[in-house]
Formats: sequence, structure tokens, C-alpha cells
Amino acid sequence: MLDKRIAQEVIDCALSTGGDFAEIFYEDRLNNRLSMRAGKVEGVNSGRIHGAGVRVYLGLQGVYVYTNDTSREGLLACAKRAASALHADSCITAKPLAANEYVNIHPIDIRPSEAKAAAKIEKMRAAQGVLSQYNEVVQGMIGYTDSEQNVWIANSDGLYTHDRRTYSRFVVSAIASNGTENQTGSASPGALMGFELFDHRVDPEATAHIAAKQAVTMLHAPVCPAGVMPVVIDNGFGGVIFHEACGHSLEATSVAIGTSEFAGKLGQKIAADCVTAIDDGTMPNEWGSENIDDEGTPTTKLVLIENGVLKNYMIDRLNGRRMQMPVTGNGRRQDYSFAPTSRMRNTYIAAGNDDENEIISTMGDGLYAKSMGGGSVNPATGEFNFSVSEGYLVKGGKIVHPVRGASLIGRGSEILTRIDRVGKDMQMAQGMCGSLSGSVPTNVGQPMIRVSSITVGGR
Amino acid sequence: MEKTVFIQNLLKAALDAGIEAAEVFTSYRDSFNAMCNNGEVTSYQVATKEGLSLRGLYNGKMGYASTEAYDDEAIGMLVNGVIEAATLIEDEDVQEIYAGDQEYVKIDNYNPELDKVSEDEKIKFMLEVEQKVKNCGDPRIVQVGRTAISTSSNASQIQNTYGLNLSDRDNLAFSYVMAVAKEGDRVATGMGMDFGRDFYKLSTDKIAKDAVEEALFYLHASPVPSGNYRVIFDNHCMPDLMGAFGSIFSAEAAQKGMSLLAGQEGQMVAAECVTLMDDPHMPGGLASSGFDAEGVATYTKAVIENGKLNTLLHNLKTARKAGVKSTGNATKHGYAGTIDIAPTNFYFKPGEKTLAEMMEDVGEGLVITEVSGLHAGANAISGDFSLLSKGYTIEGGKKGRAVEQITVAGNIFTLLKNIRAVGCDLEFFGSSIGSPSIDAGEMTVAGK
Repeated sequence: MLDKRIAQEVIDCALSTGGDFAEIFYEDRLNNRLSMRAGKVEGVNSGRIHGAGVRVYLGLQGVYVYTNDTSREGLLACAKRAASALHADSCITAKPLAANEYVNIHPIDIRPSEAKAAAKIEKMRAAQGVLSQYNEVVQGMIGYTDSEQNVWIANSDGLYTHDRRTYSRFVVSAIASNGTENQTGSASPGALMGFELFDHRVDPEATAHIAAKQAVTMLHAPVCPAGVMPVVIDNGFGGVIFHEACGHSLEATSVAIGTSEFAGKLGQKIAADCVTAIDDGTMPNEWGSENIDDEGTPTTKLVLIENGVLKNYMIDRLNGRRMQMPVTGNGRRQDYSFAPTSRMRNTYIAAGNDDENEIISTMGDGLYAKSMGGGSVNPATGEFNFSVSEGYLVKGGKIVHPVRGASLIGRGSEILTRIDRVGKDMQMAQGMCGSLSGSVPTNVGQPMIRVSSITVGGR
Repeated sequence: MEKTVFIQNLLKAALDAGIEAAEVFTSYRDSFNAMCNNGEVTSYQVATKEGLSLRGLYNGKMGYASTEAYDDEAIGMLVNGVIEAATLIEDEDVQEIYAGDQEYVKIDNYNPELDKVSEDEKIKFMLEVEQKVKNCGDPRIVQVGRTAISTSSNASQIQNTYGLNLSDRDNLAFSYVMAVAKEGDRVATGMGMDFGRDFYKLSTDKIAKDAVEEALFYLHASPVPSGNYRVIFDNHCMPDLMGAFGSIFSAEAAQKGMSLLAGQEGQMVAAECVTLMDDPHMPGGLASSGFDAEGVATYTKAVIENGKLNTLLHNLKTARKAGVKSTGNATKHGYAGTIDIAPTNFYFKPGEKTLAEMMEDVGEGLVITEVSGLHAGANAISGDFSLLSKGYTIEGGKKGRAVEQITVAGNIFTLLKNIRAVGCDLEFFGSSIGSPSIDAGEMTVAGK
């Protein structure tokens, strides 16, 4: 852990050349990874991530220095190096560090280190048993990962706090083959939980069925036709459309320097009336939840878009200074080797009032995207792309047959205004989101939605 | 604890605990990254990062464990971690710790002068890049999105209980800028970048000029109608596409049924004009090294020669299983990773024609200069891809108008066989994967 007296010394040292804010982030994390292929445990790897980073601001200048040497001397050397990059005329004095008032809203029942490896492997075998039932599934990979991240954060405003974040995730990938062609299917549920993940959230067999069925379905699917058409995107990982097309452009990272297509549009209508979108770090034990963010700010529930009107951006401390707006508890980072910046947590389109059957039956000819792959976006232009991992061709409001190899492209601002149906059943799914401060766990989510027209890439 | 003492103690503790053979892999990285916006330094990062992993054979199985803390607890945690892991492993493939080769090619990837460049000089360079974009003289360039510079200096070492002791050192400087162009409600971005081991050869002019030109060119880009088009992937874009499909050449993927190139050695897998090289000794190459992550000596080979697949890429485990020798392509994703397989400096051997000549031959079609979303839109197991793309039209054999918001879809295995021509313009743009422009034949495009 980070000793309070050392933290105070480090902060004082970091401010010695005139910075106006200093912070230390100290991390110790244990990662475990198990993998199984063809029913046999193939990989077992454990690792300890350990290090600390010191950040100093002077106005809008920010300096970040990190190291693995977390001895008092190592941390002070780190602070001195950070301080040496800034030169101001006057110095401020840090506030004395206050008591740590840690409140845990995400209780953990079974810490991963307390669960036996044999019990973890048993869950993997259960999934493998299901994959073996599918004749066309020629290869199955099952992964189990857990991680316990302990962070301590102290800053010159007197903050001294910590958080423990426990993650568990189960990953099943299936490959179906007919000898000359391969298709894949996967499912990877996870939560901010310990081994009780399997009591509350994840059924290994059901997870394996999803992956295997997807691979087999796609093996028998013709390629998706290309063109512009209406697209229905199902709930769960379908929420990646909002994440990529809009979410990244609402992060202060791109809003603060004016490169987001949504910069300067607070209070304006940016989406159809039926769209309300939320970023919520407080949802108990969800994959993207935390108690505090990586700047020590308590996590929040933030309405991004309400009935089509832009309400909030996601703001970290440094960009908050730039935008002269308060932080929103979205300062996140992969680990100590990244300075934090504004990132999504559990981000979803809220449930609407439309009937799922009606959404498809009135769409005419188009694509029903049942399951989405990942995607990416250029926040400056809003251009996004993402892949459809399980799609179905719709003709005259009826699902005709599955199609493979589809992708969706467009601009975020256009898509938001073209959403014409929002279903009732909101579901979330887990992902790892990559950006300036590394890869962080995030949930995406939505009910079934319909977009009146999108460019569908296919063959 | 001092690192050399730590490693000696660790290897000894591993043998004492009954581990048959053990190996320590260490990596050390010194890095500097900065970004600026409007003449102000907005991000300034300095770091030293060190990590170590232990792998060892216990009852014939290979276990792994890693740490970034070199305290007293660490030795016990690593040794126990390796034993526990090895005990759980059921996979029958034989793995080994390597005693070493007779000779290793010496590779010079380290320029001591680069480590002496001051942080102030680097900041000055970055600010100059931003200034040059701003002062480009075209009012449509309204903003500089992000300007960055980074330098890193890396050292890695492999030491094992058979006495193998190999070390590598390299460093690199890299700078990029994103220019934003605007006209009416049209917005386009352009990237410029430069990299190298001689800081004083990086060019602020080149970085700024490339970014400005690209942003302006795409300002009036629009989709083409959906349909089939003759497509050339240029030398910026083709390496990205190949990077997404690098794993199809891995013997590990093939043995696991995850590459459709399994069992295709000796067969034609590409058009006759295609020769694909893996060259770990390329001077200045970003992946150049005399040895791989298992300590096996590396060598240069044609993976595909005149269309024929000569070999897949092997490490010791897959080579033993296939009854061949390792090709020296073992890799690790960071110090904590397990042994995997990857190409080194990987490129299509250039042909005769310039891009302009290839466009003449094509007559009507598209040149694709950028594809996005490769991590999701390209599937190495099926070979399918469907990717957001931009580029320009070829009209009457000449460069036409800018194109964006289209997808280009295909399958990598079909694409390799359909290649009509390989250009002479081989480049590596800040990557270990390079390519000349490639005429890929007919592809399906979704547009308006």
C-alpha cells in the first residue's frame, strides 16, 4: 500500500518547482489467466503489476512520470523528475492528507485468490462439454481471467483514498469449419466480481452454446449484400454502435481540444427524440463500474443525452480545467503506466417503448444485426465502422436467412438522428475499450434499436 | 534487490524447488511522450518500466509467472506460480528451454546519440510541427488535432539455467500530427508522421506537409456507388491489411485449426508475382534481432516464393510437432506473455512498376489508401474482411477524385491468389510490416 507520510512527501516534492496540483497513483495488481483448447488446459499464467505514477499540473500543462521503483527514494526521484519539467515563479503548499473514507458499493463474495484453480477449470470443462456436442465445431478455446487491482490515490487537495477492483471474465470462442472455410463465434461475459460470477451472472454452458451456435450459423450463411439499407441492431453488445459512433466523441479527451463533432453542442438536439443515453459507473458489480475513478473522484451516473438533447460530457480533471467544467468521475487508465483521461464506464441507450416484433416487421428490406463485433471511430470526423458477427437478411419485414461478413459504417451524428425505434429490453455486454489511457473494462448496452439507413459493407 | 543478484537467486531457487530447467526474460524501457495543442504542452510523460518473467519446466510442462516488483516475496511468488501453472497444464505438446545456437547475427538497433537528445529539444521539435501545420497558408486548415512526439529506449535479456545469456537493445523516435480541415460543414483529418533512430533526420516539414495534404485532399471526398471495382491497395494501406492477417502464417494457428494455410506448404497460395519475405536482419528494421524470444538464432526466408508457400512460421514447440526446425519466429507480447509466433520484418518483395504505371494498367478503378477497424472487421480465422476505407478513383488510368465512407470487402486467401501486380514502391511506415502497392484485382465495394 501507499504509506500516507510518504505520499505527503512525494506530493510536496512534486510541487517544489511551482506546480499548482500534484497527485500520486500507486497500483498493485494480480492477474491470472487460464486457457483451455480441445478440452485440455493449455496455458496458465499469473503476473503482478506494480508501480506508481506522479502527476503535476501548472495551469493546463500536465507532466506524468511513472516507475516500478516504489521505494520512498524511487517515488521521490519520480516526483523530482516530474517537478523539473515545470518552472513557475511561485509555489503553493499542498493540503495535509485527510483520512481515507472508503465506501465500497461493489461487494465481492469470493476473492479470486480464494477460489481453487480446480474449480475454475471445472467451469471451463463444462463449456467444453457443450462445444463437443456440435459436429461442425472443430476447435474451441475457453479462457478464464481474473484480476485484483489495488489502487491508492493521494493529491495536493488533501485527498488520500484507495479502491480495490476485482474482475472476473469467462471467454468462449468456437471455430466451425467445413474443411475449406472457417467461421467463428464467441461470447465473453464478465463482471466486477470474484468467483461468485458463476453463481450470479455466468452459466458456462449457456455461454458455450451462444459461441457454438454463432459459428455454425455463420458457416452456413451466404455473404451479406452491400448497400445502404435500414438496420435493426439487437440489445446487448449492439450497444457498441453508441459506444463507437457517439460515446468516444463525448469524452473530454476530444471535446476539450475541439476536435469532437459534438464540441460546443451542450443543450442542443443531437439525436432523435427517442434516444436517451447514460454513462453510469455506479451500477453494482458491473464490468465498467468503480467506487472511485483513477483520479480518486467518486464515480457517478451521468445522463449524456436526454430525449435527443446533449446534456453532459465525460470529463477528467485536466480536461475539466481546459473546459472550465467540473469532473464527472470518468478519469480512467489501464494501469499506472498511463496518465488518466476521460473514458466511458457502463454506457448505454436507455430502454424505450417500442415492441421488438414490430420493429422488425415494419422495417421492410434490410439487415438485422443480432450480434456485433467491435469497431472504431475517428472522433474528429465522427466516422465509425464496426463489424456484424451474426447478421440476418430481412425481406418485407421477415427474417430470411443469416448473412456473414457484414460491416456497418457511417458518421455518429447522422446515425443518432436516424434512430427511429428503441425497444423495451435494455441489456449490457462487456468489452475492453482502447484509447489514450490504454485499455479499460467498459460495458456497452442498449435495447433493440432501428436505424432508418446505414451503409452496410458486404460482398 | 539488485537485478542481476535477483535473477541469480531466482534461477537458483527455481532449480532448488525441483524445476528442471528455467529461464528469465527481462525487459526494461525508458520512454518519453509529449503532446501539444495550440502551442501549449498538454501532456508530458516520462517513464521507466521494468518487468521480469520466469518460465520453467516442471514434470515436463511449462509454467509461467511474472512480476514488476523485485522484492523478497517475488522469488517465492514466481517459483510457486511456475510450479502451480505447470501442474495444471494438460496440453501434451512438448515445450523446451533452449540451450542456444553456435552463432548469432549481430544487429545494431541502438543509436546512443538518440538517448542524449534533451527533452527540451524534443518539445521544440513537436511545437515546430504544430506551427508548420498552422502556418501552412491554407485557410481550410482550421485546427491541429493532436501533435505528439515519443522516444523510447528498450533493453531485454534472456538468461536460463543452461547458461544461455542473450541481450538486445534498441531505441526509436517517433512523431506525428493530425491536421483538421474544414469547409462548410465538411470536416476531414490527415495524418503525418516520421520515425527513426537518428533524431536529427526526422523532418518537421515532411510530417506537417503530409498531414495538411491528406486533410485537404479528403475534404471533398464522397462515396462511390456500390459495386465491383478493380482495387489497388497502396503502400500505406497494404501493410495494415497484412498486419491484421499475420497470424495466418503462424504454425501454431495452423496446428490449432485456426489458419486455413494449415497443410498448404509446397502449394500455390498466392499469385505467381507474389514473394513474401520474413527478414529479421534488415538494417534499421523495427523487428530486427539476431535471436527470437526463445533464444533461437534468426534467419531470412521467403515465406511465399513466386506464389508457393515455402514454410509457415515456427517456434520450438510447433517445429518439434511438425518435425521441422524452428524458423526463429518465437515472440512474446511483452515480458509477461507466453511464447507465441509472429513474423519479424515482413514484406512483399517489390516488383517493377510504379503506382502510376499500375494505375495506367488498371484504367478504371480505386486506389485504397487507408482501411479502419481492422481489429473487428478482419477475421484471420475465416480470412474475411469488410473494412471502412478511403482512397481515390482511377479514371482513364489517372488519379481521380477522393473517396471515403465506403467499405471494401473480400477474403485474404482469395485476395492473395488474385493479385495482378506488385509495385516497386516498398515502404515501412513506422512498422515492421511493409509492402509496395498491390493490384488486388476485383473487390466488392459498398458505397452510396
